[in-house]
Amino acid sequence: MSKPLNIVIVGGGTAGWMTAAAFSSVFPAGRSRIRLIESSEIGIVGVGEATLPHIRFFNQRIGIDERELMAKTQATFKLGIEFCDWARLGDSYIHPFGAYGSRMAGVSFHHHWLRAQSLGETAPLESYSLPIVASRLNRFALPSDDASSVKSTFGYAFQFDASLYAAYLRGFAEQRGVERTDGKIVDVQLRGTDGWIESVKLADGSIVSGDLFIDCSGFRGLLIEQALKTGYDEWTKWLPCDRAAAVPCENAGPLTPYTRATAREAGWQWRIPLQHRMGNGYVYSSGFISDDEAASKLMSRLDGKALADPRFLRFTAGRRRKTWNRNCVAIGLSGGFLEPLESTSIYLIQIAITSLIDYLTDEQAQAEPSFDPRTVDAFNRWIEMEYDRVRDFLILHYHATERDDAPIWNYCRTMEIPDSLKHKMELFRHRARVVTYKDGLFLEPSWLAVYFGQRIIPRNYDPLADAVDGAALTRKLQQVREQVNDAAVRMWDHSRFLNSYCPAAPLDKGMMS
Amino acid sequence: MNIASRVAIVGGDAVAWIAALSLLKAFRHRKLEITVLETAGGDDPRGIRWTLPSQRGMHALIGIDETDLLRATGATYKLGTEYSGFQGEGSRYSHAHGDIGNDIGAAPFYKYLVREILAGRRGNPEDYSLAAVAAKLGRFARPMGDDTALTSSFTYGYHLDDHAYVAYLRSLAQRAGIARIEGVVAGVDRAEDGRVRVLHLADGQTLAADVFIETAEDTSATDLCDWSAWLPCDRIVHAPMPADASSRPVTQITAENAGWSWRVPLANATAIGHVYCSAFDGQAARESQGTPLRNGRRRRFWEGNVVRLGAAAMQLEPLAGADLHFAQLGIVNLIELFPFDAGSEVEGAEYNRVMTEHADALRDFTIAHYRAGKPRDGEFWKATRGTALPDTLAHKLDLFAASGRIDIRDHETFEELDWAWILLGAGVVPQSLELQIVSRLDAVKADHAAALNTQIHWLTSSMPRHLDYLQRQLAPRP
Repeated sequence: MSKPLNIVIVGGGTAGWMTAAAFSSVFPAGRSRIRLIESSEIGIVGVGEATLPHIRFFNQRIGIDERELMAKTQATFKLGIEFCDWARLGDSYIHPFGAYGSRMAGVSFHHHWLRAQSLGETAPLESYSLPIVASRLNRFALPSDDASSVKSTFGYAFQFDASLYAAYLRGFAEQRGVERTDGKIVDVQLRGTDGWIESVKLADGSIVSGDLFIDCSGFRGLLIEQALKTGYDEWTKWLPCDRAAAVPCENAGPLTPYTRATAREAGWQWRIPLQHRMGNGYVYSSGFISDDEAASKLMSRLDGKALADPRFLRFTAGRRRKTWNRNCVAIGLSGGFLEPLESTSIYLIQIAITSLIDYLTDEQAQAEPSFDPRTVDAFNRWIEMEYDRVRDFLILHYHATERDDAPIWNYCRTMEIPDSLKHKMELFRHRARVVTYKDGLFLEPSWLAVYFGQRIIPRNYDPLADAVDGAALTRKLQQVREQVNDAAVRMWDHSRFLNSYCPAAPLDKGMMS
Repeated sequence: MNIASRVAIVGGDAVAWIAALSLLKAFRHRKLEITVLETAGGDDPRGIRWTLPSQRGMHALIGIDETDLLRATGATYKLGTEYSGFQGEGSRYSHAHGDIGNDIGAAPFYKYLVREILAGRRGNPEDYSLAAVAAKLGRFARPMGDDTALTSSFTYGYHLDDHAYVAYLRSLAQRAGIARIEGVVAGVDRAEDGRVRVLHLADGQTLAADVFIETAEDTSATDLCDWSAWLPCDRIVHAPMPADASSRPVTQITAENAGWSWRVPLANATAIGHVYCSAFDGQAARESQGTPLRNGRRRRFWEGNVVRLGAAAMQLEPLAGADLHFAQLGIVNLIELFPFDAGSEVEGAEYNRVMTEHADALRDFTIAHYRAGKPRDGEFWKATRGTALPDTLAHKLDLFAASGRIDIRDHETFEELDWAWILLGAGVVPQSLELQIVSRLDAVKADHAAALNTQIHWLTSSMPRHLDYLQRQLAPRP
């Protein structure tokens, strides 16, 4: 029997507790000992969080009850993200969690839709997407299991309060044996022989040693950067936003089953509806607007009464050079930062956790745990690929704009973009083809939503689409629109669904900030 | 919308005809004018093709009926490949077209075998594969039953007599209205932008088209990525033998002193052949036996309005039998990116990006046969291990050796299980296994695994003999 792996998680925000919850659930007792150190003196970034449908796989894998999670975190459902004013002022498009229509004659639906326009059809692409039509009506229902039904053509995610999410996961993890220590780390001890982290020292003088350290300490990277000097690749030239101001406000009007991202004069503003309040924030570039002005713009653009003063965050877009360095793995903001434009923060945490679980080996032959560099390198390549793919997708939003009303948009519209993205855009522009890949985020519908939404209009469609008879195509399109519309109007009002499915208990005033 | 409507295919091998038939079918609403220019020497240098199961998908696409094909070409079934001698005399393993055991939760069964091997016990994938055992016993039946049934736990490819296969495809194509001319290209007439407009043939004929497809190797090409440092074999020679009544539905590949040999069953013959490196087989080289082989690929598969498929795009010794699969990938991607009249540079760039990844992944899988596990003795075998591996392959072998894990990236033909077959088969023992899988393996009881093995033996012994099954398929239906 091998010695249990001694895992120390540093930091108790979303990343720390997601890691603790997942490890305690997946690694059987006896094979690991998991400790988490957090300081109640240090706040967590925990602003309102919007997620992607992938979080449901995470919940399933570790055994989290979705309904209970939603009730405990003031959660709402999310069918997509609405982007306002991105290509032009006044524009609105939704990036849906689901498909547009279905393939015909071996060709993706959007080619048929493009062709139909030349035959006189005028209905917009979004009328073929159930999650978009439902979003516009503020409606929601759980997807159907019947793959032949239009009601199975979408997925969903959650919008929840990240502080409550961390608290919920803490309960889950502690029940499964995770030991929590409240303490501030004042020193990190490296092993002389190889520079591995031996232990961390807390303010009260106690020493916590471990085999594997998970750095969930946030932007500063207490272990991965401050102790191990791993280095950081900056992507500011493509993603110039480096600050955010965040503030909650009262809900006003119907609860939308989607997040909204509105392009602004120096960045963009998020709006995330929760059951008890609205999360808001302005992500901006300090080169194009001052903190004060950004905050005052934000406060003037809230749906309801502000519930607190704005909080400020600073960051640099980019990725840690190695997510896993020696015996330390950086998960969360310590591993890299990509602005939450596409709600990827929790996804990137999730993928780091699940990949680490997948790659960690059972070093039964070893007296002392060690991590084979061949495995570590493979893990790092995997995470790099994930970050790079998200990065390209985010840059697309900034670059493919016609806006010329503010310096940041002039910069982004004319900047040099990565070749990998340039190629993808050219191919779409030329023949509406989306470059797809096996692993990593964003499937064809996501790229379509953003390409079309950002007004990249393809010059041609796939000639294979012409194999479908024109009259049959027109009939088929009408049928899909009707099915989508029928299904959407039969869904529940989003608030009503929440009230019956996962009503959250009212919170103490003190916990609402 | 303007689209290319005239396609000229220069080659005349199986790939040329398959490309013609596929394009015609895919663009039947466009009524493409397709001409195949049959040049001399269209046959495959092996005289035979062995295929992956994906060939059946291609056949279905172009409307080939299996019985009709078998009857016309004397083809046989292929449940996989057996490799002998690659880790020394007496070593032997299978790469079957089928599952290894049943998944354990989300963990593949081969992880259990790794754990058995780490514990010093036997862990041979063949014992848990219906396809491998049936192949060994010379039995065959098509897969049947629902997805979870052991009888559907495998798939199959073919052994095809190349000459008969080409003749069969040609007659199908001609019946479908594809034009055929014979000749030799004597001159090329290009537009100002370098695109090919017209081919001038030696006999004075001309062939004009919008898209030109090449399927035969251009031996004068200089833009090659040369793979001979990893794959030094440079000649192929083959010979027919009388049919073997006990023929088994499997490709047999045997390591030789300066390369490897094949033995492949056909309905009325047994095909044998030798892929070797002339620098290490002096006698064969002096007798200049066979056809030259240059392992490598063209730097660009799509240039202007010329697209290279199959042997024109890549030369790869058929150790993994993926040549027709590679051609198929080229055809499918060409259909998906079929060029508009002009401005097809971006399609070409995408085609080249995707096909380069496909080609390099096939290269890696082929090299792995030489580099995984204990090496065979001998000068040639030493030479195959002399060069540092391509990064992508080094990463894969390193990761498996460290953790028993197999990462598959975009555009890899061979999947996790294929790699498990050859890596475990070659005797690679990972140092460790994934922590989260090890604990799940505790749930697998040794007697369950033994029961599976027993069931496989019981099932395979009730399957018909390969040639009997084949004969029954070919018998006229009442």
